[in-house]
Amino acid sequence: MSVQAETQQDTYVTFYSGNECFALEIKYVNEIIVYQEITQIPESEDYIKGLINLRGKIIPVMDVRIRFKQEPKEYTDRTCIVIVNVKGTVAGLIVDKVAEVVKITQEDILDPPTLGNEDKTQSRYVYGIGKVGDSVKLLLDPDKLLKDEDLSVAEQTNEENAEEGE
Amino acid sequence: MAGDFDMQGMLDVYLFENSQLLERLQDIVLEQKDEECFDEDAINEIFRTMHTIKGSSGVMMFDEITKASHKLEDVFYYLRESKPTNVPHLELVEHVLQVADFITSEMMKIQDGGTPDGDAGEIVAAVDAFLTKIKSGDGEQEKNIKENVYVAPQQFYIAPMATSASHFFKIYLTFNPDVQLANIHAYKIVYSLKEIAEDLLHYPEDIVSDVNSEKEILDNGFKILLQAQCSEDKLHELIQVGYELQKVDIYECSASEFQKGFDSFGTEIRIAGEQPEGNQTEKTPEEQAIIQKQAQKPMAPGDFVIESKEVGKGKKLAKDKPKKQEKATFISVDVQKMDVLMDLIGELVIAESMVLQSSDLKVPGLSLENFNKSARQMSKISTELQNAIMSMRMMALTNTFQKMNRIVFDVSRKLGKDIEFEMIGDTTEVDKNVIEHIADPLMHLVRNSVDHGIEMPDERAAKGKTEKGKVTLKAKTESGKVWISVQDNGKGLNRDAIIAKARKQGLLDYYKPDSAYTDKEVYQFITLPGFSTKEQVTEYSGRGVGMDVVVSNIKAIGGTLEIESTPGQGSAMIMKIPLTLAIIDGIVMSVGKSSFVIETNAVQEFIGVKEDVFIKNPGGEEFVMIRGEAYPVVRVGELYQIDGYNPEAEEGMLIVVSVEDKKLCLFVDELVGKQEIVVKPIPEYIKKIKGLSGCTQLGDGSIALILDANGLVEYKS
Repeated sequence: MSVQAETQQDTYVTFYSGNECFALEIKYVNEIIVYQEITQIPESEDYIKGLINLRGKIIPVMDVRIRFKQEPKEYTDRTCIVIVNVKGTVAGLIVDKVAEVVKITQEDILDPPTLGNEDKTQSRYVYGIGKVGDSVKLLLDPDKLLKDEDLSVAEQTNEENAEEGE
Repeated sequence: MAGDFDMQGMLDVYLFENSQLLERLQDIVLEQKDEECFDEDAINEIFRTMHTIKGSSGVMMFDEITKASHKLEDVFYYLRESKPTNVPHLELVEHVLQVADFITSEMMKIQDGGTPDGDAGEIVAAVDAFLTKIKSGDGEQEKNIKENVYVAPQQFYIAPMATSASHFFKIYLTFNPDVQLANIHAYKIVYSLKEIAEDLLHYPEDIVSDVNSEKEILDNGFKILLQAQCSEDKLHELIQVGYELQKVDIYECSASEFQKGFDSFGTEIRIAGEQPEGNQTEKTPEEQAIIQKQAQKPMAPGDFVIESKEVGKGKKLAKDKPKKQEKATFISVDVQKMDVLMDLIGELVIAESMVLQSSDLKVPGLSLENFNKSARQMSKISTELQNAIMSMRMMALTNTFQKMNRIVFDVSRKLGKDIEFEMIGDTTEVDKNVIEHIADPLMHLVRNSVDHGIEMPDERAAKGKTEKGKVTLKAKTESGKVWISVQDNGKGLNRDAIIAKARKQGLLDYYKPDSAYTDKEVYQFITLPGFSTKEQVTEYSGRGVGMDVVVSNIKAIGGTLEIESTPGQGSAMIMKIPLTLAIIDGIVMSVGKSSFVIETNAVQEFIGVKEDVFIKNPGGEEFVMIRGEAYPVVRVGELYQIDGYNPEAEEGMLIVVSVEDKKLCLFVDELVGKQEIVVKPIPEYIKKIKGLSGCTQLGDGSIALILDANGLVEYKS
């Protein structure tokens, strides 16, 4: 167990959603699967795309793009579902593509900028900026990502859900 | 006794086995509590149970349990042997239950890591007095029975855990004539066999203290009847021809032969000449003849025809045998392991459909005859596998209901009421978790019914009712839920008293007249915490005591409690509990690209319709007219805003759903088929959606949402 914890330390799965590259600590990631048929769930938030059947387990999936208020994009064969387990809640994250697994040490993690042209919705879920070589990864807080802090907003966007759902 | 190192293991087995035995004992007792007396099977079974408990408790050195069970065993030994006719049956039932309770409570202490410090003295004395009482009825038999009491039990060597994997052997050993102390050698062999034996008999019986046995063994050989889960080779390994043994013959025999035990010896002996003395056997001559016939046929050549001066005590054991095979044996399995297995089988089914529908197979001109044949076979097996694992998690409510039987019996006796207990649908299967959660609330409800619902016999008589009250426990599955109702034909709830109380507590709308509240609403008040107070108990028969606890327990597992009552006729408490992992028979339908399932039981009929049957009222509500009746319509596609939903009436299908008296039409695109489905909860992460009770996996691995007929009806009305 300790060996595993050691190898997992500072290791992140990175993926693209839009132009940004996001990173999730690997301990939260169960597995990555290719996009599969999603069963729509009525009356749920717009970013909740529905349910998938992962080998007999029914798992809710969210579209990270919609969650980040980015333009929705058609799913392609590069579209992946990252299955995360955050404190017992298992969910799937639909991302444009999974990039790689990288090591980001504590020294290379900076606090997120409080100013700047970063979209507000995104920055809510980003707790740090990781430097890998020349590139920058946005470190995601999966807990915040899954949790619904503003139900009222979700309620309002329910209407759009019908048009977007596919 | 075993060393300390495996004490815990022994203790676990002890607790597990005995608690099962006790449960079975209670079942038997309660089953026959209303009869005149116990039948022979029950007496034997109770005797055996007590005997086994006594034995194992003795080994574990729980003296008080040993004492109590021993006393009860005595009683049943007496019943079995003397067949007294004047036994006060109810008193006996109470004694048995008392002893069972005592042992159960002691075992609970052990289980919690404590010491069983209860004193059996009182119970023993009570049972003893009872025994003396029934014995005084036919005293002349007393003496010879007394003598036997302590002897009979000692003949079980090993816990009777007969399973189908057991083999039965006849072992015949010839000792080297020069061997000294052949009986001790024989004892050594018996001792080594005990390790593997589930049951073991040998002849001569007494090889340790009887000096004549040495000669007997040397002259006629040593015979063993063995029941064990091992092969013949293993036995050969254990018993080897060597210095003391000249010849080892092992024959495997059938269970029935084995069960006859030394009867077969006995009958053979009789053939050989001497008449067995006394009351060695209670079998009628006809039975003996049959046994003789059976015994003669499968006998190994010559070996078991022996001379005997004394037939020994093999008899009693032989009589004890036959029942054992009937008992189902159980193992307890970690539920998590079952879940894993369940998931794996789900995976298997999906993998299977992937293989069978593989695009590689779709090459034109490919000959798939053999493939299809094997594929069919595989599908069959995987379906069966799926069914098996599902049935494993499901448990019948029978056990839970039986316990209620006990409560009805106890409480009614205490209160001096005469109550008949009826179970309907006790074989309804429910997920194990659910069973654990409903036991307490159910007990409460049953107790309430007996205590407060059913009137005293004279009161009932005065009202022109039968003196015997009746409590009915009913279970059924409906619309994805299991309904468990406790019904009594007692006095029912007092509506006026409840309303008065509710007014006093300010629960009612000041401007609303009493009559505006439906009965259902009124009765729900008694489930409110704090509604039931002391003075309340006298006011309306105390209903409501602990009801809030019952309701909160039921709610904790997502269930509801409904109360129905007719004054003077009785009341019914209906628990509706979702089956978390129940298999239901469902109708699969599709709307747009989505699939939905609804429980078959809720569906009344399917109707193809034309556009003109739909009527819209000014409020925008839609109805259909079917055979002169108007039903509200739910267009599933509209309700859930599903893409690609087809609103054309001619192409869709109407499903008439009925829950209780309410009816509703669902409009869907297409019917897909009928299927057994496993209800899975919608992940908690997704908030609750009206009209949906869960989801399920269809045969092709896709997900269908389960429509909750009840919820839809409520939503619509």
